This record gives sequence, structure tokens and C-alpha cells, in this order.
Amino acid sequence: MIKKNYLENLNNSKKPFIIYKSNKGFDLYTDFSKKIILTKNNIEGFINQCVKLKSKKKETDLFIGFFGYEVLNNLIGIKVKKQKGLKFPKGIFYKPETKQKLPNKLNYKKLEIIRPNKLFKININESSYKVIFNKFKKKIKSGETYQIKICTKYSNKTQIDALDFFCRLVKSNMAPEAFMIKDKDYSIISCSPENLINKKNDLITTKPIAGTLKKTKKLNKIKALMFFKRNIKESKEHNMIVDMERSDLSKICKAGSVKILKKKIVEEYKDLYHYVSLIGGRLKNNISSLDIIKAMMPGGSVIGCPKISTLNLLNAQEKESRNVYTGSFGYIKFNGDMRFNIIIRSILSYKNNSEISVASGVVIDSNAKHEFNENYIKAKALMDLYK
Amino acid sequence: MIYIIDHKDSFTHNVVHQFERFDDVTCDNYNEINEDRLNKSKVIVLSPGPGAPKDYPISSSIYKRFKGKKKIIGICLGFQQILHCEKGKIIEQKKIYHGYQSKIKVTSANSLFKKNRKFNVGRYHSLKLKEPFAAKDFEITMRCVISNVAMAIENNKENVYGFQFHPESFLTENGNLLIKKILSV
Repeated sequence: MIKKNYLENLNNSKKPFIIYKSNKGFDLYTDFSKKIILTKNNIEGFINQCVKLKSKKKETDLFIGFFGYEVLNNLIGIKVKKQKGLKFPKGIFYKPETKQKLPNKLNYKKLEIIRPNKLFKININESSYKVIFNKFKKKIKSGETYQIKICTKYSNKTQIDALDFFCRLVKSNMAPEAFMIKDKDYSIISCSPENLINKKNDLITTKPIAGTLKKTKKLNKIKALMFFKRNIKESKEHNMIVDMERSDLSKICKAGSVKILKKKIVEEYKDLYHYVSLIGGRLKNNISSLDIIKAMMPGGSVIGCPKISTLNLLNAQEKESRNVYTGSFGYIKFNGDMRFNIIIRSILSYKNNSEISVASGVVIDSNAKHEFNENYIKAKALMDLYK
Repeated sequence: MIYIIDHKDSFTHNVVHQFERFDDVTCDNYNEINEDRLNKSKVIVLSPGPGAPKDYPISSSIYKRFKGKKKIIGICLGFQQILHCEKGKIIEQKKIYHGYQSKIKVTSANSLFKKNRKFNVGRYHSLKLKEPFAAKDFEITMRCVISNVAMAIENNKENVYGFQFHPESFLTENGNLLIKKILSV
């Protein structure tokens, strides 16, 4: 059992740590014996060496960390031209020596009072957003993309207490893929709801989300489902993602084994309803961790469709690095099992710079003003932590 | 063996799995065509993909080389690729269908499929065939019930088939049966 004040002591010790949502609570990983900083040159080697032949014995026989967006592009042969932004590592993984269980209710009282700066600046204002939006709409008309997600970034210079932020975030927005990393010069906090890879033995599943509805008093789960079903735009976006994820899984799974296990269901969160599907398959023989990661990442639902052509359009447009946003956080066990999410609804804090990136989809019938505001609403839940 | 040319689409591997139900399949990227495997194949499948047929000249030349010699099946972009090679015009359409389920109908008595049969299909296309369209031995055999847009072509003499919709999509009813029938003739 975790002792009282444990989190306070941990935070004060300045030791790096990672917290990741588990079924019943959270898992806390500490005492890192290795830290690997990824580049486009060492990433393949890193992934290949994660799986050790010796059978898994300890709970800490794994590497845990994140892949940033750029290195995932590089991994599938897509170049990202030089971009502005924080010079933040493209990916970092750790080998933990200690794993402990934490309850869902995280008790943490911050000791130092840090008053974070709550003013944010946005990298794309509404009128530039419209210009990009219309440009991408033309690309949809000409068939180069069918759905594309424009990313906007809110940033701010300030110091934060990451653990305090995380505890407050999961209190208001508990999510099945929530995690935080705290290291000396950076922290990442996320209430990601989206699992990209869940692999156990030869079974693999992915759980894309496409469609979000804010809760109101009048809504319930059944009404939310009716809303999604009747809303043609939401349905089309979701269908596209389901077929895309089926195809990504089909690259690595046995013919005929890819199935939609849960088709277009509604999941309820504290403030939101999500439109979700669960797709799974059985891996072909001799598929490596690297094959799996290359087939599934970067996660399609936050990029658009078709993936490669859409990534190229995004990379030609975006002047600022996405850093961790739309990358993946998770772990690879020594026995080859893995779990990865998609990093969204996240804050990256690096050398006292905070970044919150958000994206929403352009399909043929989206409206620029609506999507711009949608982005703001998504960012606001995180910016509110700075109050 | 069935040789699938992947036009870098995010649906191609659904096509691969669908065809693997019936025969061995090899799938290569558009930029990495393997001549040996291509020559050995019995059937060539032109996959869906982004953009327009004119963006894929290699696929056009493969179509022209093997038309009448091997069975050729085009899906979505692949369907348009065949039409483009047969001097059809591929144009932008006003209403765009991405992730859309529509009812279509078999409109020709010469089709492999029963005339007037209706079924639901999944569509992902910005572009369409401009009509009137005419090419020797080709016939438009299926159309969208509402918009009347061409949804399938058949050339039973030279074994060329194309679908504007996606038989491999989870939105398509009986997609496997469609492919089975075309592979069996």
C-alpha cells in the first residue's frame, strides 16, 4: 500500500516518475535504470531491442515512454521539414525498476505555491485558420484527402507543478489512457481517452474515437447514440476511421481475422460522450514490435485519411513542431506485449514553456468557425488548470 | 495469384484481406512494382487511393499492357483509372461522398449480377465519371439509386471490372460475394 504523503515525498525527491492509468487505478513507475532519447537514427534499433528473449518475469520488464509525432513520420518514411518550436526530444523511453499501484483518487497537496501564468497565445488565429481550412477543403474536393485535422497550438511561458495539474485533471476528466511523465527538465500531462494499440500474445486491438458530444442535462447515453447516428457528418467521419483502422490492422493480422468487435458505441465520460469502435485481429506469425508500430502509428483518427497523403499535406502546411502531440505514449514489455495510446488532450511543459495542442477535423461539410471554436473548447479544459 | 497495386491508400489492406479469402495475394506499393510477380499473376487489382488517375501513369501503362490478357479489377481510384485509360473523363462532383453509405442498383441485364438488385455500399470518392461515356465492350452496370452516378463497369469480353464504391468497406453488404463472383468467371 502507498503511504500517506507518498506523492508529496516523491515529487519533492525530484526523482523522475511516470503515472499511467490502469484498470482499477494508476500504475506508478519509478527508479529508472535507463533513459533512451530517440532520434530518427536510433528508433528502429531501440524498438527491436525492447523484446528480450528471456521470458517475462518481473512487472518492470518493460520500456515505458513516448514517441513524438515527427519520429513516427520518419519511421514510415515521411519527411518533416525543419519546423519552429521548442527543441524538445523526439521520443524518450525509460526502464523502470519499481512499479507501484495508486488508487483512482490521487491525494496530493502541493507544497510550494506556484502561480502559473494563465495567459496563452495561439499560433493560428481565426482568419489564418480559415485560410488553411479552405485550402484543405479544396484538397478534399480534388480527392487528395478525405478528412484532415488542423492542429492549433496554445502556448505560454510559466512554471507549473505537473503533479498538481495531473491530479486536478484526472479529478475532472478521468480518461482510460491518462498519463503523466515528470523528469528534470520536462513534464507531460494528458487525459487521453484513446487507446491505439493493445497487444497481448497474438491478439491486438485498437479503439478509435471519432465523434465527441458535450454532456448536457437533457442528454443520456441513448440520446447521445441517436445524435451520432442521425448526424451524417459525425457518422461519415467515424466510418472512415473504422475502415482505415481495419486496413492498418490488416497489414499485420491474419487474413480474415480483423473484426469490428464493438461497432459505433457511445462511451460516457464525466463531461463528454465519445463515439467509439473497437477493432481487433490476430497477428500473423513473425510480426515484430517494429512492424506493429509502423502499421499503426501515427494513429489515424487524429491525422485524417488516407494517412500518407494527409500527413504530407499536414507537414507541408505546419510551421511549428507538434512535439508529443498526436504521438503515442505507452510501453513495450520484454515479452513483446504492448499498450500505446494517442497523445491528445495533453500539456507539454519544457524548460518553463507550456504547450497545449488541439486539432479538429475538416471533412467536406465542416464549417471553419465551428471547428476553430471546437479547438478552443478542447484546449480550454486544459488551460483552466492554470487558474 | 492476385497482384494488388497499392496507390498508398488507407483502405488497401482491407482489399488485400478480402481477396485473400479466395486466392494468394501479393500487394506492392505503386512505386515498387515487382515485374516478376506482376507477370506471374492471374489477376491485377488497382487499389483505391488519393488523387486522380492522371497522378498514376504507371498504373495506366500496366492496365494498357495487360488488358485482355489478365483479369483486371479496379476499386474506387482503380475504377477511375480504368475509365481514364478508356478515354473517360473523371471530374469533381458537387456532392462528395466520404464514408457514406448509399443504395445502389444493378442497371444492366448483361451484368454478372442480377438486374434491379439493390444493395448498400460504402463510398469514398471526390471524383466521378463524366457521362455520357462509351468504350468498346464496356458497360456501366450499377448506379447510385439517388444520384444515378456510375458505380460499376463490366467488360465481360476482356474481363475488366471496376467498382466506384468499396466492396471491402464494412459499409458494403455482400462485398465478399461480389468479389467471389468476379474472380470465379
